[in-house]
Amino acid sequence: MKKLIYAILLVASASIFAYRGQAQVLVIANPSVKSAEASKGDLRDIFTGNSSSLKGSQVTPVLLKGGAAHDAFLSAYIGKPDGAFRAGWRSLVFSGQASMPKSVDSEAAMVDYVAHTPGAIGYVSSGAPHEGVKVLAVR
Amino acid sequence: MSIILAAWSRLLRVVIAKIGITFGLTPFCNFADKCNEGCPLQKWLGGWLRFEGECMRRLAIVLAAWMLGPAAAILSAQSLDDLNIQIHGYATQGFLYTTHNNIFTTNSSDGNTAWTEAVVNLSVQPEPKLRVGVQARYYLMGNLGNTIILDWANLDYKSSDKFGVRVGKVKTPWGLFNETQDIDPASIWVLLPQSVYPIESRESYLTHYGGVVYGKFQLGPQLGTLEYKGFGGESVYVENDGIFLAQNEAGYPLPNGIQGPIFGGALHWKPPVTGLMVGYSDSTTTTWHALITAQNGAISGTQTLYEMSQPNLFAIYEKKKIMLAGEACRNWTDTRTVFPGYPAISQSVSGRSDPREWYAMATYKLTSKLTAGVYDSQIVDHKDPLGPGRYQKDWTIAGRYDINGFLYAKVEQHFIQGTQLGYDATLNPNGLQPNTGLTMMKLGVSF
Repeated sequence: MKKLIYAILLVASASIFAYRGQAQVLVIANPSVKSAEASKGDLRDIFTGNSSSLKGSQVTPVLLKGGAAHDAFLSAYIGKPDGAFRAGWRSLVFSGQASMPKSVDSEAAMVDYVAHTPGAIGYVSSGAPHEGVKVLAVR
Repeated sequence: MSIILAAWSRLLRVVIAKIGITFGLTPFCNFADKCNEGCPLQKWLGGWLRFEGECMRRLAIVLAAWMLGPAAAILSAQSLDDLNIQIHGYATQGFLYTTHNNIFTTNSSDGNTAWTEAVVNLSVQPEPKLRVGVQARYYLMGNLGNTIILDWANLDYKSSDKFGVRVGKVKTPWGLFNETQDIDPASIWVLLPQSVYPIESRESYLTHYGGVVYGKFQLGPQLGTLEYKGFGGESVYVENDGIFLAQNEAGYPLPNGIQGPIFGGALHWKPPVTGLMVGYSDSTTTTWHALITAQNGAISGTQTLYEMSQPNLFAIYEKKKIMLAGEACRNWTDTRTVFPGYPAISQSVSGRSDPREWYAMATYKLTSKLTAGVYDSQIVDHKDPLGPGRYQKDWTIAGRYDINGFLYAKVEQHFIQGTQLGYDATLNPNGLQPNTGLTMMKLGVSF
């Protein structure tokens, strides 16, 4: 019985931390993107180069060069550390299958680029200002 | 450990020597590999606009790639927005050491640094669905390469996630890593499992002239996603590719190489389990013919490579810090040679092979900068006579350290049994030992 309780507590705390990872990051998109939501699988496909559309809209991923929001996004939706994530993109670029996605230095630059670029989709920390973009609900 | 430290010391001295020569640091001249025609510094100062000999060309190409890195880093991964132009590249310098036997056409038993690569990539994406790109590569491995080749050049139009097409000189989608096996920055490994991805056959297997169609379909929440790639065109095996090493050394070269139609496809099934992919691919050729010569060109004939198929089953699982992968494939060939009037010679250059190959690998991200890995790779040719030449078994442990976002270092130790792959007669005149240890290291820069 004790082992069961400990297991439940462990799963619950893991779920809380996982939820917190997701809540720390907002997925934002240009208003031209029709969909108001995206699944975790959609985000993983888009940000690893496997997909270029979201519910009928052509989308283009935009990355942060680093930082807490970037790490939280990778942890919550890509499931890879930054090194493996960028190695995956290098595989595509150097084999002629893709171009490297746009990278920006700051969350403010991210919001500005996404707001002014049709089809752009990116991410910022939950407390970052994000006027001019739509926030996608992640299910 | 002392052997590894000594090897790292030598590798770093060679790299520093190659950079040092550029800036005129005389004391490093003696350590420059293969620069035996006097001090390269004097040659460089006397004729720095002229590329004299192998040493200067290698040096210039590698240094151009390294120097381009910081400048391009300003543009790196940042498209020239208005034109969507991107420039990327990487350069590597490797070191090999074997306890017995010389491998990959190098004098590896003495320690060897004749292993250099530099790649430059240019792409333009004028609109989201259309991309045009080209990539050039310089590579040297022992007696192979030492030339600049067109890696690939293609136009890619992606109509939707369900359909895209890529035409030109394109990477051939076969197996798990065929399209990416030569992209050193993308992998923890110095060498991919040689049973499936022999490094000497790089120019033959990686690309074809023609096209690839690709796309994916959603199968539903219970079945996941199915990705497809189909390809067709012409495959070209150039005359000096490593695939012909043994035949060339035996005195039966193909002066024009061999080429012919190839087609095939790959299916990648991603079930609703995050990080898992299971796949199958196959490539098939028609019957090819090529000019073959013997006795230093005194006689000529025709070599026929009958239809080949390469079925391949593979799987990969990636989740957070762990990666697991494996492949199993078969590659049987039937070659017939006819020198009119010379039946005995014809018979000696004819035959069949039936290699069965597989590997299993695992990697683990120990820290944000350090990744470790291990694999077991095996090949057995069921048409070869019994003995070490029939098979090769390779246990490998490896590590990669990312110094920063541009620089990385790799070290790898192989425990090899059997002599099926990687050895040539010229550099092993006394025959081959059945087992050997192989230590490999690489320094790389990528932007």
